[in-house]
Amino acid sequence: MKRKGRRPRKRVCSFCVDKVEAIDYKDIGRLRKYITERGKIIPRRISGNCAKHQRQLTVAIKRARNIALLPFTAE
Amino acid sequence: MAAYEVMYIVNPNLEEENVNAVVERFNNLIADQGGKVEEVDLWGKRRLAYEINKFKEGYYVVVNFQGDAKVVNELQRVMKISDDVIRFLLLSKEDK
Ligand SMILES: [Zn+2]
Repeated sequence: MKRKGRRPRKRVCSFCVDKVEAIDYKDIGRLRKYITERGKIIPRRISGNCAKHQRQLTVAIKRARNIALLPFTAE
Repeated sequence: MAAYEVMYIVNPNLEEENVNAVVERFNNLIADQGGKVEEVDLWGKRRLAYEINKFKEGYYVVVNFQGDAKVVNELQRVMKISDDVIRFLLLSKEDK
């Protein structure tokens, strides 16, 4: 039987692909790709990030928010 | 001594040359407390992602330094009370 609807996206962690050791809160260009228009962090089931890098990403985004490099979630 | 990084935002109402004086003052504070400034990165004036105390922009500065708790505590204490700094983020380079 053929599966209907969208094919499940292949989960590839782009940080693993790039062999990123530590995600830097100063790398705003990259962090921006993982927040929504409203400033929310995109969950890893959508981004495809591995657990380790998603954890690092969350910390980095929170730091960047603290120092006003990234917005907090718009209410 | 351990490696630290501090990012701070200098009051946008200051003239550029006064910003340099502020940066130098903090660098001297680090040295006076026995630390060692290793790298200073001036990002220049940037728009803030959200307003901080009515400020919409600020001069971003990143300083990497070596120091112990004494350096860190004094830097934090002074930055907290300084009118020239509108926000700062101090991290140990070990906290990855
Ligand atoms: Zn990964």
